[in-house]
Amino acid sequence: MIAYLVKRLGLAALVVVAVLLALFSLLHMIPGNPAILALGTRASPEAIAEYSARMRLDEPVWVQFAYFIGNALQGDLGADVFSNRPVTAVIAERIGFSLALICAGMGWAVLLGIPLGCLAAVRPGSWLDRVTGILSVGTIAVPSFLVSIWALLLFSIQLRWLPAIGAGEPGDLPDQLSHLVLPAFAIGLGWVGYLARMVRASMLEVLGEPYIRSARAFGLTPRRVVLGYALRVAILPTITLIGMGFGGLISSAVFAEIIFARPGVGKLIFDAVSDRNFPLVQGGVLVATGFYILVVLLSDLVIAWLDPRVRSSL
Amino acid sequence: MTRIMTTRRTFLATGAALGAAGFLPGGPGMARAQEGRVLNLRLDGDNSILDPGYMVGGTEVEAQKQCLPFLAEYVRDGDTFSWQPTAYVTRLEYADDTHLEFELAEGLVWSGGNGTVSASDVAYSYARMKESEWSGYFDALETVEVTGERTGVLVLNKPFAPFIMVTLCHGPGAIVCEAATEAAGGRFTTEFPAICGPYTYSQTPGQRAVFERNPEWTGPAPGFDRVVCHVITEVQAAELAFEAGEIDCTELGPDSLARYAEAMPEGTVLTTAGELQYMWMGMNTQHEKLSDIRVRQAIQHAVDVDSILAGAYSGTSTKSHGIVCPGLLGQRMETSYSYDPARARELLDEAGVSGLELTLRTLNWQERLLTAQIIQANLAAVGITLNILPMESGPFWEMGMEEAGETWQELELWLMRFATVPDPYEATQWFVSEQVGIWNWERWTDPEFDRLYEEGLSEGDEARRAEIYLRMQQIMEDTGAYVWINHEPEVYAHRADIDVVAAPSGELNYHRFQPL
Repeated sequence: MIAYLVKRLGLAALVVVAVLLALFSLLHMIPGNPAILALGTRASPEAIAEYSARMRLDEPVWVQFAYFIGNALQGDLGADVFSNRPVTAVIAERIGFSLALICAGMGWAVLLGIPLGCLAAVRPGSWLDRVTGILSVGTIAVPSFLVSIWALLLFSIQLRWLPAIGAGEPGDLPDQLSHLVLPAFAIGLGWVGYLARMVRASMLEVLGEPYIRSARAFGLTPRRVVLGYALRVAILPTITLIGMGFGGLISSAVFAEIIFARPGVGKLIFDAVSDRNFPLVQGGVLVATGFYILVVLLSDLVIAWLDPRVRSSL
Repeated sequence: MTRIMTTRRTFLATGAALGAAGFLPGGPGMARAQEGRVLNLRLDGDNSILDPGYMVGGTEVEAQKQCLPFLAEYVRDGDTFSWQPTAYVTRLEYADDTHLEFELAEGLVWSGGNGTVSASDVAYSYARMKESEWSGYFDALETVEVTGERTGVLVLNKPFAPFIMVTLCHGPGAIVCEAATEAAGGRFTTEFPAICGPYTYSQTPGQRAVFERNPEWTGPAPGFDRVVCHVITEVQAAELAFEAGEIDCTELGPDSLARYAEAMPEGTVLTTAGELQYMWMGMNTQHEKLSDIRVRQAIQHAVDVDSILAGAYSGTSTKSHGIVCPGLLGQRMETSYSYDPARARELLDEAGVSGLELTLRTLNWQERLLTAQIIQANLAAVGITLNILPMESGPFWEMGMEEAGETWQELELWLMRFATVPDPYEATQWFVSEQVGIWNWERWTDPEFDRLYEEGLSEGDEARRAEIYLRMQQIMEDTGAYVWINHEPEVYAHRADIDVVAAPSGELNYHRFQPL
């Protein structure tokens, strides 16, 4: 297990380097002078020159990359171009909001999607199965930004049940939770469909296995067969999907953060790209990539933990 | 010591419980707008640099106006703008064309025990601005002579009529505390080293900026005890927040402005800050396809600007006849060309041009693309094929600059919009001869235009100044390189029980807001 973990961490480090290398290349392929974009079209030549020197824009890309990696290994992600605050501090202020949103979005999708998938698989062809199928496709097909806008129009503007903007007052947990409901609903809705379909398909496959027939023949209750035996196996591919889903939610969260004016790392990166605030982009992408890799690694470890066959093969 | 054992079963159960906990109803708990004397507003982004010398501009100016002294402020008089001394001064007047005397009010103190606001702070602030990224605003300032603890003279190096309106009323005119600024290292970013104004300032990045009543402020009391500016980057999101009752005032985009004009939400009124933006379609007079003035004039006659205003801007913006914006002296009320497709075809025939194919470059914004499509249809009607090239802001804003590459040689047509300040000189400066290849992308020169530009700077007589700027715009139009389009307004929707005060360029001045 330890060797497996070390191998996975090594691979994760390689992925991070590859992502950052691609990011550096892409950033420098964006048309336009980053100094003019950052400082405004009427900035003085002196200000543009000072900015370019400070950002090492005149250096080759690989030199800039080497500087970034070297500093990042020491915990220094650079400074915000405008406010000159450390990027680590800027990200630290927002990452909690992003984690709360992503976890809440995936959390409610898991709580609803997995039971729906189970019920649909247990009664294939029933009205519940059909309704779940239609709802699943429907929720997958609607982009999260549209759900965000509809939810905001209905629950905030028409009904005035839930707040429209922000993340709530600091230190006021109920207020913060109420601000979390609509964005989490919006980004998680599609995942209800994904998870329901995945669990249904896996369960149908597992429920046809000989050992399930044997369990039924031994007189175990249907509830015990489904929850105690079938779901334990059928849930494994779903856990992988959930792990990967966190990556998708990072991008969905950007829309929700913009529409609901919530602070978060996704919106931070989005704004930083518009402003050509390269240190923030690089730091934000590094954190987002690291988070995604960590979640995928965790999901693999959970699968290994839950499935003795996987564990014994490590 | 309690040992916590985790099994696969308890892990799944705990995970489910924690997930469910995330969805416990937290109750509405919403801070509805204007409870007590709290004003909820929108901030379109974090204030990154509050230092007037190095600010980005925009909302940072709004913060400065609440927390730092200014010598003058904008005042609206009907449809025109002028200035008045602020509460920080008891006197601000010209002794002659180049000497502007001021006297600071008594009892103004900097926060943090940094003493009183003095004339030497004014001298320090403006000398510092002359070395800053905003030094262009202080080109006309020679020095500040300190004549007493609270008195001084701003000495100009030449008569410069717009000095008060353009420099002192605007963000660069902010005065900082010398002692505190030097103690902070000479520059500052997200915190004021010392304040002297109606409000104190604090910011939670990514969330809000909060202005609280300053207990040390001895000037006129602001209308609200607390102003909370929520960071909402997208204007559409801000509009929804306003409709949800979470903010009391927001800027409106053209679509929403048209919707509000048709059916105003209950308890809402609109306030127009100003229309200090001018948009036009430019033509490169040096491009081989457009070097014949008759071709350019044909395009002027071919474009139906009224259709653009109706189709792309829902009738919410003012038709433009030049670069001087509404409310400023020198604004033109008509053009010497009109929408006349038949005349356009005649001019093309006279020039011997047929099958002309041109490219129009524009920012990839909704209104601009709609504008481009209408122009495309207009030009097609006179036999010109127009290709539209939507662009991202990076390459767009440098495509006419010679130092940024070779694109300027390929430029044919483009849609451009500049913002300006409440004086006509600022808009004209981008079209003088020395701006060819910088901002004069139309690439024409005219000695009379250059001479009039210099005259306009120093002319004190308003009627004569107006004549100068009218003539300058006529010269521009006569090049055939411009199709004037519109002046987009800065419009705010706000609660009917609030009096909103905004600068002509759109910055809100919270301390002058009043509950009605």
